[in-house]
Formats: sequence, structure tokens, C-alpha cells
Amino acid sequence: MTRHAKETDLALFASGDVSRWNKLRINLHLNRCTRCREIAEAYQTDRERLRREASKMPPGVDWEHLAAEMTANIRVGLEAGECVAPRRKRRFPVRRTPVKMGFGWAVASAAVGVTFLIGVALWLNFPSSDREVLGRAFGQLLHGKAIPLSDESGPVVEASSAGIELRENGGALKISQGALHPVAVSVSAQGSASARYVDADTGQMTITSVYVQ
Amino acid sequence: MCSKLFTPLLAIAAMAAGQTPNGHIDIPKDSPVSMVSVDWSGSRATPRGGAYLVDVHASLTLLNASQKHIRGVSLEVLAQEVTPGGKGAVKVPSLDVAPRDSFSVRIDETLLRPLGGGNPDTGPMVEVRLDGVLFDDLSFYGPDKLNSQREMTVWEMEARRDRKYFTALLQTGGRDGLRDAMLASLNRQADARRPGVQVVRGRATNSDPEHEVQFAFLHMPDAPVEPSGGMARVTTNEAWAPRFEVRNLSKRPVSYVEIGWIVKDQTGNEFLAASLPADLNLAPGQGARVLPDATIKFPDRVAIQGMSGFVSSVQFSDGSYWIPSRGTIDQRDLRNVVSPSPEEQRLSQIYIKKGLDALIQELKKF
Repeated sequence: MTRHAKETDLALFASGDVSRWNKLRINLHLNRCTRCREIAEAYQTDRERLRREASKMPPGVDWEHLAAEMTANIRVGLEAGECVAPRRKRRFPVRRTPVKMGFGWAVASAAVGVTFLIGVALWLNFPSSDREVLGRAFGQLLHGKAIPLSDESGPVVEASSAGIELRENGGALKISQGALHPVAVSVSAQGSASARYVDADTGQMTITSVYVQ
Repeated sequence: MCSKLFTPLLAIAAMAAGQTPNGHIDIPKDSPVSMVSVDWSGSRATPRGGAYLVDVHASLTLLNASQKHIRGVSLEVLAQEVTPGGKGAVKVPSLDVAPRDSFSVRIDETLLRPLGGGNPDTGPMVEVRLDGVLFDDLSFYGPDKLNSQREMTVWEMEARRDRKYFTALLQTGGRDGLRDAMLASLNRQADARRPGVQVVRGRATNSDPEHEVQFAFLHMPDAPVEPSGGMARVTTNEAWAPRFEVRNLSKRPVSYVEIGWIVKDQTGNEFLAASLPADLNLAPGQGARVLPDATIKFPDRVAIQGMSGFVSSVQFSDGSYWIPSRGTIDQRDLRNVVSPSPEEQRLSQIYIKKGLDALIQELKKF
């Protein structure tokens, strides 16, 4: 009877976090054990799916609008700072007691700080395509001239070995068959993409599609 | 004061914990299928960054309430809050559901929508509607908003053609003959690798120099229409504004033509890039110019070197169809680029997963 590999080892193997010796040992085992191979493949599939989801995380926002709002917030912060009069030279000896910061400075600093933190957090969370839009907005602000548009300016349907997707206006729609991988994908010039899936247990073929209207 | 502070915090906590999205199934009472059950378990909506990530998992059990065998079902999936101009579909071809039998359809959908959009109290709404049912006599029921009738009829005709082909192989060549044909089919499917492709309406931006490339149409001896004079604008990895002429060679008026668009890359690899459908009204002997408004775009590593095309299906005005014969698609220049039918793929998967005996049993079913 075949002794199965530990599930924790399979999970680590799927993520590439095992030593070379263990990798070789598990690889040899997977070559002759269907059950463990399926578990390891399932871990790899989940990992790949999570990676894909994370990399395309939030194209759900009107980034153009958000970029403009963030820029405006920064400007408000900077202008609030400028409202405070420049520091006057003190004609009297500096006191040792702590200097009270003016209310305006506190508000301005807090606004700039919070805006900066939110901006960095959002920036790190953005998919690369959305960073491009924001970068363009900031570029326009800095250079005062328009920067060429990116490729995706309208609805896009996409077919790849991972499946099909419709992206539009910051929203995205994917239709799949759970953990199944498509056996084929296709696109139509009318603006649709389709993916074919076969359920190994039932032998049922399911075809999913997304359409641009 | 406290309640003002806690209310948004509670809302944020509830959102972070995940919200069950609202789903609705719309199957008309007079339709030939009725819903036995629906299971939404595992569906959830969770905030991700500045957006909602909505995972919808629905397992529908439908009953054939008609007096005929069902061959295919098409469901329209709507998520208007997410993609106002788009929709999805789940279609199940190659069915053989007898009257009063039930069958399952699975829908797995991932949506991303802005946090601020939609009604926060009801959560995102996903609606599933019946678009059509195809019966074994090729009759159809349903609103057909997604052109499901045409698509499912072509799939059913291809399924009949391919089941007949493989059954004949079994009878003439025995188990070995069928096995060889399955292996050849699987090899073709594995070799037909193609890069990801995007379709956009109109023209995508690309600063590369553009030029015109001519289509080389493949000869289909029994096709009722003949394409010619095809051109498209091409940059390195993008092709747009395809246009071609078609002439009706048959004695019946033609209402629809679909052309398979094949692209050759810099390595000489040819793959089916897209289909070019065209609604027409072509009298016998008449010709027309087709100008689809579309752009296809490949990853940067692909450089388009050449293009060809072939007639993949034709619909006549009387509602009948033409599809290529098995002999035509087994031609050397078409064999490796034409996608196998959904039925051939289904049969080959049954062969891989369950073996030759299971495949033979499947071929005997209907």
C-alpha cells in the first residue's frame, strides 16, 4: 500500500517552500501517487488563482475620479500649509519650554500626512493598469500637458488559458466553472469571449461567455 | 456621538467579514424547464482595496418539463451594477435529458465592483435568466437575446457529425481505430496553443507603425459561400479593421456567415485568433462586403506575420445551417488550426479521464 505524503508537505511543495531533498522526495512520490498529485495540483491551482486575483485586485473604482480627488486633497493640504504665515525671526531668546504648534499647522500636517498614507496604501494596492491612470493624472498635474491614453480606454473582453474576462469602467466580470481549467477559449470580433470546460466526473461540457453589448 | 462613531465601524466590520450577494433566478413558468433547486452556498462579497470582490457560486438543478429530449441550455448572467454594458452566459451543449429527468448547471462568477456603487443594504445583485433551450429535433424555446439558438444549433450539428465519425471509426477500425483517433485529437488540441487575446471595439492605441495585411482564404470545397479580398490593418501585435467580401455560391439565400480568422506569428505558428461573424442578406450568386468594427490584440511577445481565414459556419434564410464536413476539417491546412467541436473535446476528455470503455459507452448513448 502506498503511504501518502503529509498534506502540509504537499502544501509547502506547491508553494516551493521545501528543501531540495524534500522536493526530490515528494516529486518521486507524486509520480506514482495520483491522490497526492491531485492534492498538490489543487494547492497549486488555488495559489495561482489567489495570485491572479491579488494582482488584478481592485479595478472597481473610477480611478480617474479618484486620482483627481487625491490630487485635490494634496493641493488642499499644501494650500492650508501656505495659509499659515512664514515663520518670523524671533527677536527674543528661544524659550526652553515646548513651542505650541499653531492650529492651522496641525490641521495642514494631519491632512497631508493622512492623504499621503492613504495614497501610498492605495497605490500599493492598485493593479499596474490603474497605477498608469493615476500616474497620468499626476503627470498632467506636474507637466501641465496631456499624456497619451493607455490602451484600455473602452470595454475589453479577454481570453487566455486562465479563462475569460470582461473589463469595463473599473468593473470586471469573470465566469468560470470553479476549479476547472478551460479546455479551450475563443473570442469573437463582435465583442465576446468564450471558455469551454469539461467536468471529469459527469462528462458534462459547459461553455461560459462574456459579451460587450 | 458614540452611535455615530460605531455605526460606520460596524458596517466596515460587517463588510470585512463578507456579505452574501443577492442572486435571482428567472425561469418563466411556461418554459420547458423548471427549477428544482438552487444552492448559493459559498457565495460572498468582500471588500478588496477600493472595490468589492464578489464570488458567486450557484448550482442549479433543472427539470425537463417538456415532452422532448433537451440537447442544450443557455442561461444569461446579468450583473448590471458591475458591467453596465456587458453580460455573461453559461451554456451547456451535448446534453441528452429525457422528459421528467433533471440535470445540473453550475455558475461560478467573479465580479469586481467599486465599493461606492450599488445599494449597500442589498449587496450586489446577480440575475440569471433562461435564454434558450434546444431540443433533439433542433427546435428552440427562449428569448434568444444572446443568439443562443444559432450557436447551440451549430454545436449540436457538429456533435452529431463528430459522434457519427467516431462511431464509424469504432465500427470499421475497432477499439484501436477509435483510440488512435482520440490520441490524434488530443495531440491536435495540445499543439493548438495560442496566446491570450483581447477584443476591443474600435481601435486600441498603439504607436507602432501600421501596415495592411491580406487574408489568404483557405479553400473549403463544399462551402456555400466564398470569401475573398480580405484585408486588415496590423501593427506588431494588433490587428483591426478586418474587411472581406463574400459571395453566395448556393441556391438559397444566406443570412449569416462566420469566418475563422487565423494568425501566423513570427515563429511560423498558426492559431485561430478570433471568429468574424456577419449578419447578411445574400441572395443566390450575390456578393457583399463585410466590415466588422473590432480590434484584436495579442501579448507583446507576438508579432503578426500573416493572416488567413476559412468559412466556419453559414446560416440560410430558411433557418437551416451549413457546417464543414469532417473530411474538410481534416485537411492538412485546416486540421491544426480549426478548433475541435465542443463534443469532440468532451469525448476526448471522457477518454482521458475514464478510458476507452467509458468513451464507447458514451458513443452508444444517443
